[in-house]
Amino acid sequence: MSASPVAFGAPKSPADRKRRPARSPATRRPHPALARLALLVAGAGLGATLAVTITSQPASQLSARGGALTYAGSLAGMIGTYLALIMVLLVSRIPFVERVAGQDGLLRLHRAIAPWPISLLAAHALFLTLGYAEAARTGVWHEAGVLLTRYPDMLTATIGLALMCLIGIISVRAVRRRLRRETWWLIHLWMYLALAISFAHVIVLGPAFVGHPLTQAVWSVAWAATAGLVLCYRFGLPVVRSLRHRLTVTEVRREGPGVVSVICSGRRLDRLAVSGGQFFCWRFLSRGLWWQSHPYSLSALPQPPYLRLTVKAVGDHSSALASIRPGTKIAIEGPYGAFTRYAQRRPRALLVAAGIGVTALRALLEDLPRGSAPVVLLRASQPADLVLSTEVRELVKHRRGTIHELVGSREEAAINEVSLPRLVPDLAHRDVYVCGPEGFVASVVDTARNLGIPDEAIHHEAFAL
Amino acid sequence: MKRAPWLVAAGAVAGFLGVLGLHKTAAPGALASGGIQPASQSSQAGQPGHAGQPTHASPRGQTPAGGTRATPTAAAPAAGATVTSVGALERYGYGELAARVSISGGRITAITVPVLRTAEQYSQQLAAQVLPTLRSEVLAAQSARISAVSGATYTSQAYALSVQAALDKAHFR
Repeated sequence: MSASPVAFGAPKSPADRKRRPARSPATRRPHPALARLALLVAGAGLGATLAVTITSQPASQLSARGGALTYAGSLAGMIGTYLALIMVLLVSRIPFVERVAGQDGLLRLHRAIAPWPISLLAAHALFLTLGYAEAARTGVWHEAGVLLTRYPDMLTATIGLALMCLIGIISVRAVRRRLRRETWWLIHLWMYLALAISFAHVIVLGPAFVGHPLTQAVWSVAWAATAGLVLCYRFGLPVVRSLRHRLTVTEVRREGPGVVSVICSGRRLDRLAVSGGQFFCWRFLSRGLWWQSHPYSLSALPQPPYLRLTVKAVGDHSSALASIRPGTKIAIEGPYGAFTRYAQRRPRALLVAAGIGVTALRALLEDLPRGSAPVVLLRASQPADLVLSTEVRELVKHRRGTIHELVGSREEAAINEVSLPRLVPDLAHRDVYVCGPEGFVASVVDTARNLGIPDEAIHHEAFAL
Repeated sequence: MKRAPWLVAAGAVAGFLGVLGLHKTAAPGALASGGIQPASQSSQAGQPGHAGQPTHASPRGQTPAGGTRATPTAAAPAAGATVTSVGALERYGYGELAARVSISGGRITAITVPVLRTAEQYSQQLAAQVLPTLRSEVLAAQSARISAVSGATYTSQAYALSVQAALDKAHFR
């Protein structure tokens, strides 16, 4: 294939504008009301779980020998399992949830909740064993043996719990750092199995379920529905999309020192709804890369049949992309991300990016309407690091906005409580979109908060390895 | 999302109260442990004891502790004073039971379980296996302070509680 099949820039003339191919449809609007409803339902489930556990065990049990431990163990088990269900739902990429919260926000919440179900379930096993042992006046180990051998489905449940604890351990930062990302992720996938094999013992042995067919039915439906959602949205939809669009690498272009753009082409991209600022998880099916999946933002809105991503070489995978062969097939998951124009609350926008963060900003900018007068701040240590700046300048001019390129060291060109209001006088009427390395994003978000901008008007996407 | 924790909390309260409400309408009085106050009688030899006070409607619409109606006076030995009392109906996770204790000459002489309802077959079999063991433990210990049988914790606890309630009613030590 000869040089550049397509230029991903802003149209330079009216004729040019007419010649541009039709855009992909923008992704559907997020509906915060649906997300709020989901939160209410999740809360209701928690309350209901608590209630069925309490009402199924009489208060007199607390005064029986070992009764308090048994009661506590039962409660811990029910709450822990419910939280595990929520954890699975958070990362099942249900579209109406993902559109509102964003994949990175959901992952953050997933990581934050994680210690709770694991601790509660470990406590559940411990307390019940201790409580039963005390009631029977036997040793703890003997009681554990009885539980494992005489009760139905307990062996599989114990294996499931062991798996969960293992996954918890390897996810602790100190341990996770030493593992390869793919190794960690493969072990983590076993969580689905752990939950599946633990399901039976709950229904068969739990006091809330034995003799309560309605509770059994509701619980089973909830878990079946979760499994269905996972199969559909977490695994099914990405496969369908990859097969439908058949993306392949078309060209690799150098944009700056260590930065390349990968242009991909695919079928029926007019059916792929993407909003500017969103990302995909990319799996390049070449020999060395097929087993890895990494998230990269699109650096421009799709121009069917072409997509573009722009990547900086910071790790093995991103470095390998510089020499990827055209014709390499790609499997995608997405589009994901709430870093879009739909998140905007105020009349105008301020877009701030550092280094390779400009990719998401550039795509988002293209999605902003004409006359929206955005202010764009691009931050870089050296002028050569300002990749895609020509395109950004064109797009800003087209929208009657202002652009500031802040080049230099952190001391020279900082964005802080002093410099930001000076650069953006009407900050009070703007949403702030920040994109770039984690440290940069954190500091700009802090600055914005300190200047009185409410959290709903601050949107960020941090690029982390 | 703004106010997200509040939404979850509001949902939790609603879910909790909803289930409680459902539970109460389905099984009135079931939450109270020992919701039935069965008749407890003491009988002297030769005195025809009355079968007992009227009892409340039990959960699941069954007459509770049918055994109390059949007065133990007929069964009690004519010689010596035998006190019989029935303990409170103890609901446990898998069913409910009430124990009846006979005390004669300051010693527990007999324990039966006139009321035993379990949720399913496994618990029924378990109870059948375990109740004789518990009975002999109570007779040996001459009190309700017994060990639970491994593998039948809830059943054992309910049995012990019901026996204790019966002993308390009869003012046994």
